[in-house]
Amino acid sequence: MLLQLTLSGIAQGSIYALLALGMTVVFRATGVINFAHGEFFMLGAFVVYVLIQYVGAPFFLAAPLAVVAMFFIGRGVERFFIRPIALSPHIILAMMTVALSYLFRGIARLFWGREVLPMPPVFSLPPFEVGDLIVTAQDILMATMTLALVLAFFLFFKLTRFGRVAQAASASPRGAALVGIDVDAFSGNMWGMAAALGGVTGILVAPVTLLYPDMGAQTLIRAFAAMTLGGFGNLGGAVVGGLLLGVMEQWAGGYLSTALIDIFSYLVIVVVLITRPQGLFGSPDVTRV
Amino acid sequence: MPKRLAVLVLAIALAALPLATNDYVQYVLNLILVYGLAAVGFNLVLGYLGQLAFANTAFFGIGAYALGILMEAGLSFWAALLPAGLAGALAGLVVGLPALRLKGYYLAIVTLAFGELMRWGYIHMDAYTHGSSGLGVAAPSLGSLPLDSQAQRYYLILAVAALVVWGVFNLLRSRIGRAWVAIRENESAAASLGYWPARYKVAAFVASGFVTGIAGALFAMLIGRIAPDSFGLNQLLLQFAVVMIGGMSSIWGSILGAALLTATPELLRNFPGAEEIIFSLMLMAVLRFMPRGLAGVLAVRLPMLRERLYRS
Amino acid sequence: MALLELDRVSVSFAGLNALTDVSFGLEAGQIRAVIGPNGAGKSTLFNAVTGYIPVRAGAVRFAGQNVLGMPPHRISALGMRRTFQNGGAFSSMTVLENVLAGLSLQTASSVTGLLFGLPGARAAERRALDRAHELLGLMDITDLADRKTADLSSGQQRIVEITRALAAKADLLLLDEPAVGLTASERDHLVRVLRGLAADGIAVLLVEHTIDLVMSVSDRIAVLNYGQLIADGKPEDIRSHPAVLEAYLGKH
Repeated sequence: MLLQLTLSGIAQGSIYALLALGMTVVFRATGVINFAHGEFFMLGAFVVYVLIQYVGAPFFLAAPLAVVAMFFIGRGVERFFIRPIALSPHIILAMMTVALSYLFRGIARLFWGREVLPMPPVFSLPPFEVGDLIVTAQDILMATMTLALVLAFFLFFKLTRFGRVAQAASASPRGAALVGIDVDAFSGNMWGMAAALGGVTGILVAPVTLLYPDMGAQTLIRAFAAMTLGGFGNLGGAVVGGLLLGVMEQWAGGYLSTALIDIFSYLVIVVVLITRPQGLFGSPDVTRV
Repeated sequence: MPKRLAVLVLAIALAALPLATNDYVQYVLNLILVYGLAAVGFNLVLGYLGQLAFANTAFFGIGAYALGILMEAGLSFWAALLPAGLAGALAGLVVGLPALRLKGYYLAIVTLAFGELMRWGYIHMDAYTHGSSGLGVAAPSLGSLPLDSQAQRYYLILAVAALVVWGVFNLLRSRIGRAWVAIRENESAAASLGYWPARYKVAAFVASGFVTGIAGALFAMLIGRIAPDSFGLNQLLLQFAVVMIGGMSSIWGSILGAALLTATPELLRNFPGAEEIIFSLMLMAVLRFMPRGLAGVLAVRLPMLRERLYRS
Repeated sequence: MALLELDRVSVSFAGLNALTDVSFGLEAGQIRAVIGPNGAGKSTLFNAVTGYIPVRAGAVRFAGQNVLGMPPHRISALGMRRTFQNGGAFSSMTVLENVLAGLSLQTASSVTGLLFGLPGARAAERRALDRAHELLGLMDITDLADRKTADLSSGQQRIVEITRALAAKADLLLLDEPAVGLTASERDHLVRVLRGLAADGIAVLLVEHTIDLVMSVSDRIAVLNYGQLIADGKPEDIRSHPAVLEAYLGKH
């Protein structure tokens, strides 16, 4: 049972890891905690659904289109909602993203009401057995996609010129502007990438969780806990934090009580912030008030 | 003295209000008073002390459930009211002490998590709270007269809220209020003047817990049946919006914000999603164009309305 | 016995010695300045004496009492008040409220008294209000009483901060670069204020860059360089002191 739980934990944790990664990208680049990231997750899936149901596009076309659409939505959010108040105190920025989250959810609810929509799976394969373990195609897909995306992100940040620019701009926006980096465009692109990442995560997960307006909000707290556990602002920490959280959640649910699964994230947050606020990999005294 | 006259006129208007309303409108007005009081409590920590702490929903829920549980155990409303406030104050202490070590986003997140943990508690400690099906709260009574109508409850809520707000005003217009603002503006400078920051920070949380706890108890009495869902993140956002739109560090602003934001959801109950959309647009507009809220805008035009930190 | 005594004070940050063996004294009614090139350790000295940073070795005695390790709010209660380099006036408060905030000890009535508006607490608040108005008059800023501090010039804000620091009977006032950003007339006002304080028996310790001001108003000057005390004497002696000249001129 331990192994089965660990496996499902890794699969679940991959979702948290990807979401936490997206949020960390935005946090690192622009200093904003995006409470609407769960809605990027939700919107990605909804856009694919709309493209498949109403436009009749096949999945392998709809998915990339949706990701591109999410990139532009992310840029739009940065341009029209965040940039005008970029100099406000962080609480104002955070609350703006909360308001955005409600706005997106409200819009989704307006169109789809109380329905829960099904989504065709990416692959239809029956689950297969490895010894005692049951592994679904979904699990494998999640794990490999997570690995691929995380690797892509790291390579991007470390190796490409844009990635190095990103690191510079997030460390010092003024300095970056002085050497000719367009900080506004940079912020827009970072938000776009985070939104695209969120959208991809949503598309991967929707076949299992089904589509409904609140699907993002409910997973957001897990991403939060992952970021807290891994250390705020640490990209690797976000991924490790997400995976660890997924596994620990499953263990707690399996061995202690299923009721714990719902609040496990909150417990992690409280315990980590009281005992070791910088999490596993964060540096102490990261205070962005 | 025009100020005395204005206060007198206001008092008469408030006393005569139920004559002009029907039961439903009066209910909405009662709700506005309750949310206004909750906003006052929230404002103490968020606006005056300036800490990004979102424990207000927890205080609100603790006050509500404390009242409900005590009344179910046999206490009258009047006997249960103060303990409900004290339960909130105790929660304020529990949050305030660790809050000394956490700054900025960390404090915001941990207090948010605390609120959700409390909500999980309401759901799962069903021996006391009756879990998700909700806890019924009986009508209060004055002697042998049950206070059933909205008009009667209005006077009750008005009296309690006025008393609590009077106490808050007294605190704000004294060394304590000045210490809170001083700590918010420049903690080092405040310490150099002899104020021990830790003591005043915890005091703010305890005061906030008490005021919000009383508001929660009044809320429980007003709606008659409380369920864990009322004390989640939606509630938090609503109370935050009330404080933002009304204006941080303004008592009158809290009432104004409550008035605006309580009426709106009531009007839009029947359209799924519409409430969220209007609400979020309102909040965005305030965040973008009026970060100081209505009270801030008014205070610039009418300096007389500025709330002082001393008694004149 | 000196009012303030620094006895071989040493401070280090991450292995670097910010201050080494600094000793000097300050008497009541004396105006003393601490000067030195950038990075000499003036602010470190200030923060160490007022309890904001830890001291590695040495002692700081105020009226005979060792204040090392005491939190800033307790040091303040003993009679030491300070101002801050970046302006510590509370911007959203009015000038009157700022000065009232300085009267923390005078308004130390019980919480219950304040909460219920009891006569004792209200009397204490009224006395504080009277004293605040009195102070505004003494410092010649009564017309600014109801102005929001953030709307004032930095010179005016500086005077507000000093008034506030004086509000409770301070025996020692520590001013952190009070003349920065002041106009000429504001600087004259400041000098008048400082002379008045000394005449009242209040000791003043100044950290300053503006050499002219320091020379004209100080009784004694201590000069720091690289965290060490290189000279300590009257203004005319310091002006021609070889080590001081080297420290300032040799730095080019």
